[in-house]
Amino acid sequence: MIRALEYTGRPFIYIFEEFGRIFTFLINAITWMVRPPLRLRLVFKQMESVGVQSIIVVLITAVFTGMVLALQTFYGFRMFGGEGLVGATVALSMTREIGPVFTGLMVTARAGSAMAAEIGTMRVTEQIDALYAMSVNPIQYLVMPRLVAGVLMLPFLTIVSDFIGIMGGYVVGVFLLNINPGIFMARMVDMVNLGDIFNGLIKSACFGLILSLIGCYKGFNTRGGAEGVGKATTQTVVLSCVSILISDYFLTAFMFR
Amino acid sequence: MIRLSNICKSFNDQVVLDQLNLTVEPEKITVIIGQSGCGKSVLLKHMIALIRPDSGQVIVDGEDITSLDEKGLNQTRKKFGMLFQDAALFDSMTVGDNVAFPLREHTRLSEKDIEEVVFEKLKLVGLTESFHKMPSELSGGMRKRVGLARAIALDPKIILFDEPTTGLDPIMKDAIDGLIMKTQELTQATCVVISHDIDSAFKIANKLAMLSDGRIVESGTPEEFQASKNPVVVNFIKGHAETNNQN
Amino acid sequence: MLKLSAEAKVGIFVVIGIIILALMAMKVGKLGLRLGEGYEVQAFFDTASGLASDAPVEIAGVEVGRVNKIRLSEGKALVTIKIYPGVKITESVKAIIRTRGILGDKYIELLKGVEGAALILAGGRILNTEPTTDIDNLMIVLGEVANDIRILSHTLASVIGGEKGEASLRSILDNLDKTIQSINRTVQDNDENVKEITSNLSAFSQRLREIGDTNLDDLQIILKNIRRATGKIGELVAGINQIAGRINRGEGSIGKLVQDDATIENLNKALTSLREITDKISKGEGTLGRLITEDQTADRLDQTLSSMQEITEKINRGEGSLGRLINDDETVESLNSTLSSINDLLKKQDMFLTYLDYRGEYLFESNRVKSYFTLRIQPREDKYYLLQVVDSPRGKETVTDTIRTVDGVTITEKKVESKSSDLQFSAQIAKRYYDIGFRAGLFESTGGAGIDYYLFKDRLKLSFEAFDFDVERRPHLTFRADYKPFKFLYLTTGMDDFISDIGRESYFVGGGFSFSDEDIKTLLRSVTFTARTD
Repeated sequence: MIRALEYTGRPFIYIFEEFGRIFTFLINAITWMVRPPLRLRLVFKQMESVGVQSIIVVLITAVFTGMVLALQTFYGFRMFGGEGLVGATVALSMTREIGPVFTGLMVTARAGSAMAAEIGTMRVTEQIDALYAMSVNPIQYLVMPRLVAGVLMLPFLTIVSDFIGIMGGYVVGVFLLNINPGIFMARMVDMVNLGDIFNGLIKSACFGLILSLIGCYKGFNTRGGAEGVGKATTQTVVLSCVSILISDYFLTAFMFR
Repeated sequence: MIRLSNICKSFNDQVVLDQLNLTVEPEKITVIIGQSGCGKSVLLKHMIALIRPDSGQVIVDGEDITSLDEKGLNQTRKKFGMLFQDAALFDSMTVGDNVAFPLREHTRLSEKDIEEVVFEKLKLVGLTESFHKMPSELSGGMRKRVGLARAIALDPKIILFDEPTTGLDPIMKDAIDGLIMKTQELTQATCVVISHDIDSAFKIANKLAMLSDGRIVESGTPEEFQASKNPVVVNFIKGHAETNNQN
Repeated sequence: MLKLSAEAKVGIFVVIGIIILALMAMKVGKLGLRLGEGYEVQAFFDTASGLASDAPVEIAGVEVGRVNKIRLSEGKALVTIKIYPGVKITESVKAIIRTRGILGDKYIELLKGVEGAALILAGGRILNTEPTTDIDNLMIVLGEVANDIRILSHTLASVIGGEKGEASLRSILDNLDKTIQSINRTVQDNDENVKEITSNLSAFSQRLREIGDTNLDDLQIILKNIRRATGKIGELVAGINQIAGRINRGEGSIGKLVQDDATIENLNKALTSLREITDKISKGEGTLGRLITEDQTADRLDQTLSSMQEITEKINRGEGSLGRLINDDETVESLNSTLSSINDLLKKQDMFLTYLDYRGEYLFESNRVKSYFTLRIQPREDKYYLLQVVDSPRGKETVTDTIRTVDGVTITEKKVESKSSDLQFSAQIAKRYYDIGFRAGLFESTGGAGIDYYLFKDRLKLSFEAFDFDVERRPHLTFRADYKPFKFLYLTTGMDDFISDIGRESYFVGGGFSFSDEDIKTLLRSVTFTARTD
């Protein structure tokens, strides 16, 4: 009986343990963030890798999402003559949901996995031990810049994604579906508030933290050679994506009420 | 210089070190020999506190490093240089940057001076032409030499070598052995070498120690080892041909 | 291709991001930017059902404000409205909660009332309100009205119709008849009293006539005097008329002055009080009234009026200094400019502020506190001078690294000379354009410059400073965020010297307080006040 309980309870205990470890890891990284040296150069390098190098993939995702959104909502709204609302719908969905979430997912796939793989490789080839041996804290040297870059860059990627997505929607709506451009813009400006944009950006900063935290954590705790690195990378992508979607619900519930 | 007393360490119920005692004499080359997987690397990593013991003390320069916090540990670690098994060079940096790394972190030298020192160290290991290469472009032996250059960049008082000759061809092995001796001679540093290669061990060691079943079973000069009657030592010396290929 | 550093790439990206954000914010949040400005008025509604905060307030379909907050007060909904600056509403305005379309959001419509009613100022109240009038409500009210009408006609029918109704009608008529009879009787009974009152009245008028006869002489004198005075006044008025004619044509300086509305208002006031005085005089009130009745006074008045006439004539001809003054165009101009410059000066005096400020920053790296005492003199809102004493825990530090090579082994030696603590001085001049401020001058005893960005009604200030441009070292860069949750106190955090190549980079947190001279005055006053009451 007790063994059966133990058997079923173990996964839950494991989940809680993992939660606790990730949280401790985050606290550790934050304390190392406020200790000198600041390592701005490394932060910038990570910002380039997380932010600048993800622009293309984020742009492509955003523009096509905006376009397909315009197309789909158009057919829906046409049934009761509300074609003018297509712009507002595209803009609201982009700024509130699709911009932040899709950016988070794409950056997870691009940069989160890279973090896990890079740090994981450094772990299995003793490069992390080497950092310790040279009196350089790897949390500060490797993890902190990635976390900072994730939190800072995601909002910028998101704002670009919002903009491009809306542009995509505009092109499809106005040029392909012949919605009056004036009405398209007016309705959009009417319905979208500054708060929608900013809340989306706050969300994306949270996603940035989640994906870089999980990437670093999984990489940092890699065991078992090349196979371990592969496993860590896969786990990172899966766990990050799931966490982003779950936290998206709670953040939305909390912010938009 | 370094004294380990009553060190116990186990991983997941598996005892690796058991009441281990060892004293490393200053300004000499001490080689710790033992079978693969007997815990030699674990022992070495205790000396620089990369691994903390379950119980026991590690005393470096009269200071117990097991009780130090991160800040104190960083001070102590600056006395050390360490050459890792696969050199552990940072893949993202050039050879020059790798060697310059500890200098950039812990000195306030100008870039020009740093370059000078790096060149100096690379010259010592004979790899000046690889200055701008990435570690992935180097062979195993070259990587180890770069690792050595990086380990001695800050002129440490203690240098730790984790299996420096494993996986190298005999000529490269000889070259590395020569480098270890040359470095020791120049810097008068205390060197601790982990090896299961009995030939190199006898060649470079001032002192030898044998690790088996989590304890030091024998220690002394190479001559004393040759004359040892301890069956574990005798087996290891005689059976080196079999053990050599196992790693 | 040009090879950019990571910093440059990130920088370009961030700038693009900020530009896009600013574009979108401006497009979407055109009102968001204005939310902070304007003035508040209040209005009571019977119900504010469906009305939300931030709902628009419109006049003739043009948005002129936003609903700020809605709360319950005295059983009604008290709605606070923020009206945008420049929009004026009068007390006769009527506020109605309306619905956009059939399903749309609620908003408040202001119906413009009568022209010329008094303006509602900040904090005022719109008295005339009407709650939501949507179709449902209309139907309910209509239903109620119909119901009432039905009940009324029903009662009427039951009162008038039938025997019972007839009977009550007859009794009403009977009562009326009785009442009229009793009034008649009352008048007859009091016949004597009425006669008495009439005789009293006639006696009173008799007395009045007697009084008139005895004072006839006096009255005649008064009338004669007044006639004489009127003659003189007539001449005076003719002279004034001449001047007025010139004034009307806009000649001379007074003519110009008169064309000014303010002057007219003043004149009006003066005339009103003059009229009051004349009223009093004609009633014989006050000393003047009494004086006029005397002969001597009349003579003096006569003389005065003559000389006044002379003066007016002289003025007219442009003689004498006053005449010249009044006839000279330049005088007015110089007077005008003098007045306006006095006005400016007064305004400047109003804005001239001096601030005293203390700031403490805890530096994580050195575990010590850096203190700033600041005197800020602000002659204009967009400009200030800053004098600062900085108590820096690190002081000046010189680091020298030397390398020695012995037998092919390099040894590095490091020598650090430092003063533990040092006082440094800053003197800066600052200028502000909208939300961005620039500073330049002495920063901690070295030359430098800084940029400030003000957010959230100046509650948050982001500053970036660069100074200590030494050839040997990297410049001292500081980034700082000041947040001001209260009027006097603020919190600060940032990074100090963050590209330092001698290990001085540090995060810091801290806080401070800032008082203007006005605040200090107020404080002192309240302190003395409490001291006195003790």
